[in-house]
Amino acid sequence: MKSKSFVFKLVILAVVAGMLLAGCGGAQEEPAPSKVATFIWTQEFDTLNPIYTNMWFVTVTHQLWLPWAWEFDENNEAFPKLVTELPSTDNGGISADGTTLTLHLRDGLVWSDGQPLTSADFRFTWQMYIDPKNAVASAYPYDNITDIETPDEKTVVVHFADAFAPWIILWRGILPEHVLKPVYDAEGTLDNADWNLHPTVGYGPYVFAEWESGSFARFVVNDNYWGDQPKIGEIFFRFVPDDASQVAALQSGDGDLGTFIAYSDVPKLKESGISIMVQPSGYNEGWFFVINEEIGHPALADVNVRKAIAMAVDREAINRDLLLGLTKVPASFWDSLPYYNDPPLENYAYNPDEAGKLLDDAGWIDTNGDGSRDKDGVELVLTYGTTIREIRQDTQAVVQQQLAAVGIKVDLQSYDSDLYFSGYGEGPAASGDVDIMEWSDGPSGFPDPDIYYWLCSEIPSDEYPAGGNWFFLCDEELDALIQLQATQVDAEARQQTISQINQIFHDRVYWLGLWQDPDVWAVGSRLTGVKFSGVTPFFNITEWDLK
Amino acid sequence: MTRYILKRLLQGIPLLFIISIILFVLMMNMGDPISTMGGRSVTRPSDRERLTRQLGLDQPVYLQYLYWLIGNDWTKVDLDGDGVAETPGTRRGALRGDFGTSLVNRGKPVTEIIAERLPNTLILMVAAEAMIILGSLLVGVYSALRQYSKTDNILTALLFVGYSMPIFFIALISMYLFAVLFKRWGLPYLPTVGMFDPQVGKTVGQVLWHMVLPVLSISIISFAAYSRYIRSTMLEVMSQDYIRTAKSKGLTRREIIYVHALKNASLPIVTVVGLDLPLLLGGAVITERIFAWPGMGRLFLDHVSRSDLPVVMGILMLIAVAVVVFQIITDIVYAWLDPRIRYES
Repeated sequence: MKSKSFVFKLVILAVVAGMLLAGCGGAQEEPAPSKVATFIWTQEFDTLNPIYTNMWFVTVTHQLWLPWAWEFDENNEAFPKLVTELPSTDNGGISADGTTLTLHLRDGLVWSDGQPLTSADFRFTWQMYIDPKNAVASAYPYDNITDIETPDEKTVVVHFADAFAPWIILWRGILPEHVLKPVYDAEGTLDNADWNLHPTVGYGPYVFAEWESGSFARFVVNDNYWGDQPKIGEIFFRFVPDDASQVAALQSGDGDLGTFIAYSDVPKLKESGISIMVQPSGYNEGWFFVINEEIGHPALADVNVRKAIAMAVDREAINRDLLLGLTKVPASFWDSLPYYNDPPLENYAYNPDEAGKLLDDAGWIDTNGDGSRDKDGVELVLTYGTTIREIRQDTQAVVQQQLAAVGIKVDLQSYDSDLYFSGYGEGPAASGDVDIMEWSDGPSGFPDPDIYYWLCSEIPSDEYPAGGNWFFLCDEELDALIQLQATQVDAEARQQTISQINQIFHDRVYWLGLWQDPDVWAVGSRLTGVKFSGVTPFFNITEWDLK
Repeated sequence: MTRYILKRLLQGIPLLFIISIILFVLMMNMGDPISTMGGRSVTRPSDRERLTRQLGLDQPVYLQYLYWLIGNDWTKVDLDGDGVAETPGTRRGALRGDFGTSLVNRGKPVTEIIAERLPNTLILMVAAEAMIILGSLLVGVYSALRQYSKTDNILTALLFVGYSMPIFFIALISMYLFAVLFKRWGLPYLPTVGMFDPQVGKTVGQVLWHMVLPVLSISIISFAAYSRYIRSTMLEVMSQDYIRTAKSKGLTRREIIYVHALKNASLPIVTVVGLDLPLLLGGAVITERIFAWPGMGRLFLDHVSRSDLPVVMGILMLIAVAVVVFQIITDIVYAWLDPRIRYES
C-alpha cells in the first residue's frame, strides 16, 4: 500500500514538473543581454509578413527589422532609407507623365544572413502582393503596377498603367526572395510559409529572435546591419491586452513603453514619472453621415441640417472634458497634413441658437410638442452608431443631450468593431442602418492625402456589396476632384485639388471632426533619445538608449 | 465498467456532432473576419471581395461547415476569382484532425495554436484548482466541526466578501497593491504581467513567481464557494447514524472525520470539481487577460474579437470533448468513492 502511495505521489510530481517545463517552453537560462527595453503592446501581432497584415501593431515594428524604402521623421517628413534619394519629377525619379518610378538602392544593403538586398527582392515583393494564390491583406497599391524592371541589382523601375500620385505608400517592407521563392515554388503560395510567423531574416537594426504566442516577441541586434548599430541590445514586446494592466505595468517598471493610452490614464502615468508623447498619426475621430434620402434620414440630405448638427454639439467641450484637453477639434479631414489643409479651415463654432434657427429655416419644427422636431410627418430622430470603445460611449451620451437641446432626438447604438465594420447587408455602417456613424479615420495612405471611398462608384449595392462609400453619397464635383488628385504627381497641383476637396467637405459638412486621434505614447523614465513619427514611429530606434 | 465507458463514449459522438453544428452556425453570425483586416482603416472594397473568396467565406454556411468537418481536398476552389474552381483544396477537416488554419495568424494550424497555449493554462489552472480544493477542504471541515463558533462566523463572513467580489476587481486590486504600491513603498513586490522578466529569462522560478497573483485571484472566488459546499455536506454527514456508530465503537475523532465522514462528504464536491475540470481547459478569461497570461482564455477572447472561426471552433470543440470525457471520469470516481454506486446491472 505504501509503495502504491509513493508511486502515486511520484506520478503527481512528474505531471506537475512536466507541466511547468512545458509552460516554460524549453526555457534556457542564458545570460540576458545587458540592455532590454520592454514595450507593452495591447494587441498581439497577427503575422509578421507585411503582405499578410495591415495591423498597426505589426507595421510599426518594421523600422526594427524590415525598414521601408523611405521612412518618416518626427515631423512626418519622408527621408530616404533604402534608396539614395526620394524620387521626384525634378530628379527624374518620376517620369513626366507619372507612369514610371525609378528607384536607386543605396550601397551595402544586406539581409541579416549576409545575402545582398537587391532590386530582385523588390520585384519579388510586388509579384507576391498581386499573386491570386496569396491571400494577402491588401493588394493595394501594388495592383496599380503593371511591370517592374530590374536593369541591375541597384535599380528598380516601376511602371503604372496611369499616373499614380500616391506612390509614397509603396515599399513598406521588402520580402527576401532567396528565402521565400523556394517556398512559393514548392507550395504555390506563401500563405503557410513559416517565415510569416518566424521571419528568419530581416535587414533592419534588429532581427527577429522569438515570438511566443500570447506572451511576447523578441528582436535582437542584427550584427549584419548596414546602418548605425542600435544602443539597446534587445526589444522585448510584451502582449498585455488590458488597458489597466498596461498602466500598472508601466507604473511598476515592468514596461518601458506603452501606447494607445486612454486619456483618462494620462494623469496617473504622469504622476508616476512617465512621459506622455503625443504624435499626429493622420487619424481623426469624426462623424460620417448617410447623405441619401432613400437610404438615410431625409433631414441629413439637407446641408443646413448637417450644419445645425455641427453647431449644436460642443466639440471643444468634448475635447476639454472627455479628452482632458490633450486633443483639439480637427477642422479638416487632413488636419495633421497642414500642407493639404491650406488655407486652414475654420471649425463651426458651438452655437445652439444658430443651430435652432437653421433647423427652423429648413422646416424642421416641433409641431406635435413631443420634444423632437418634425417635418411632413417625419420625426427628426437620428440613429447614431459607433463601436463600444469607452470614449465613444461617453461622447454618445454627451451628444445625445446636446442634440436634444435643439430638438434632435438621437437613438444611440453601439457594436463590437468586427460587427460594426462588417460588409454591406451584414454590418450596420455598410448597410446604411446608422444615420450618424463615428470612427477614427484619415487619408488611406497617410501621409499621402489620397481618399477613395467617397467615389460614386463605391456606393455599395446588391450588385457591388464590397463598396466602400457607406455614406451613399454621390457628389459629382467631389467625385471628379478625388479622381483627379489620384493622378497628379505634381505636388503643387495636387495640393490645390485637395484644398478644393477640403473646402467641399467643410462647406457641405460631409464629414465632421470630433477630435484629433494622435498616437499617445507613454515613455518610461529609463528610455532616452526617444522620438516618434506618426507614420514610422521607431524611425530613430538606433538612437534610443536605456539609462 | 468498460462496457459502460464505451457506451458513454459512443453516446458522446452524436452529441458532439450536434454541438459542432450549433456552435458553427452561431459563430458564423458573430462578426466578419474581413472587417478587421484593414488595420486602423476600413478594409478596402477590392480586398474585401478578394479575401472573402480566397478564405472561402463566400460559400454557403452548410458548405463551409462541411469543409470544416470533412475538409475540401476532394474538391477544387476558385482562388483567382475567374469563376472557375481550378485549385485543389488542401483542408482535411476536423474528423481527420485538421481544424484548419487561423484567419488571424495566417497559415498557422489551429491545433498548433491551441497546443502552444494549453500548457500555460494548465499550469495556472491546475495550481489554482489545487489551492482551491486543499484550502476549501481545510476551511470547510474546520467550519463544520466548529459550527457557529466565532472562528466559523469570521471565516464565513470573509468567504462571502471574497465570493461577492468580481474577479476583475480582485485581480486589479491585488496587482495594484502587491506590485505597484509595494514597489512604491519599498517593499518586496510581485510582478504585474506576463510569465517572466525578460532581464532574467524564462526560468521555472520566474514562472512560479509570476503565477502568484493570477492564482490568488482565480482561487479567491471558487475557494469561497467550495468551502461552503464542504461545510454543508460535512455538517450533513456528521449527523448520520454511521458516524454515531463509529463514535460509539471508540474510533478516534481523526479517523471518524478523515476516513468516514470526509470521504462521503466529498461526493457532491466531486460533481462540482468534475464539472469544473473541463472548464479549466478554457482558461480563466478575465484573469489571463488582466495578468497577460498567455493561456486559452486569452486566446479565445483575442480570436473571438476578430471572428477567427477556425480557432474559436477548435477551442470550443476541445472544451465540449473535455466535458463529455470528464463527466465519464466523474462517474467512475463516484463508484470508487461510494461502492454502492454501480453502473451495470
